[in-house]
Amino acid sequence: MNKMYINMPHLSAKSSKGTLCVYRVKPGDKIKKGDIVAEIETDKVVSEIESEYDGIIDSLCREEGDEVSEGEALLSLDKGNPSGNGKQK
Amino acid sequence: MTDQKKPSWLRVKYNKSEVSEISEMMSALGLNTVCKEAECPNMGECFKKRTATFMILGKYCTRDCRFCSVEHGAPESVCPEEPEHIAEAAVKLGLRHVVITSVTRDDLPDGGAEQFAACVRSIKRRLPSVAVELLIPDFKGSNNALDIVIAAHPDVIGHNVETVPSLYSDVRPQAVYTRSLEVLKYIKSKSPDIRVKSGIMVGLGEKKEEVFTLFDDLRAAGCDIITIGQYLRPSVSHVEMKEYITPEMFEMYKTQAQSRGFGYVSCGPLVRSSYHAAEALRETDVHS
Repeated sequence: MNKMYINMPHLSAKSSKGTLCVYRVKPGDKIKKGDIVAEIETDKVVSEIESEYDGIIDSLCREEGDEVSEGEALLSLDKGNPSGNGKQK
Repeated sequence: MTDQKKPSWLRVKYNKSEVSEISEMMSALGLNTVCKEAECPNMGECFKKRTATFMILGKYCTRDCRFCSVEHGAPESVCPEEPEHIAEAAVKLGLRHVVITSVTRDDLPDGGAEQFAACVRSIKRRLPSVAVELLIPDFKGSNNALDIVIAAHPDVIGHNVETVPSLYSDVRPQAVYTRSLEVLKYIKSKSPDIRVKSGIMVGLGEKKEEVFTLFDDLRAAGCDIITIGQYLRPSVSHVEMKEYITPEMFEMYKTQAQSRGFGYVSCGPLVRSSYHAAEALRETDVHS
């Protein structure tokens, strides 16, 4: 498994925290770069967080409604074999 | 009121890698963006499209407007390389329309007007076909400062009245509504071919009749383009947001503004001064 994490991004210069409103994916979902994986509410808006990678969702790291801080993992995903031959090393 | 549940229309997309790329480029050139400093909710969308609004003359504002999240503090020295750095960033980003604003610099004799003008000249020298839009402070009403900016001949000069006059003491205590109108009027009278732009926030407790009067005031001052967006309170220490304005109400404001003859009306919950600025200029030119 080529495990990667999607973390709480830097959404606000004045606050490093936000509320994880909802996950838009579940373990086992196949996603593409740019797909929305979660919604985070900060002081001004709700941000739809896009995935930076293609892959398959491995696990959700937090509960919906949790307060999350910048840099904390929101979820992990399996990017597959980086060599592209589909085999795990 | 910030504890209110956010309405469904206050939703934005965020792509970390796109935002990081632009942020890192700006940092490397020692540049600031108002997108970041004012915590603009559209930063993700705009950075993804490789557009940004440069904020010159430092990160610290000499005024302390109660709606704004740009930091108030001791001003920094003016960077003589800043205009060239902005032109360089505009080249790297492939911008066709550059928007530049600043912190308010009441400490400088010209309020920073010469730095604005130098930025216009630098960009026009390297990118002659690129449109340059300035969003200026009121320069304390100094016509000399305005003359410096006008002489550089940007395509658009914006100055935001921000809200209706009855709310100035709470929202913008160091500014004067009529002085802001005079700034717009002076620009238009001195250079009718420069597009004049202004913007307001709604949701601060203004009455709609006051907004209509403000539209009339802006048109009388020669304003061509208006932006109208929802005020979003940056923190509990900022002026309170009174209400979320519905998309239907924004449509009503848009219709009212259009009926008064603005060349372009940008109106919606997430509209900000420079949101879709290139489109605003294009449409204004088409309809003029």
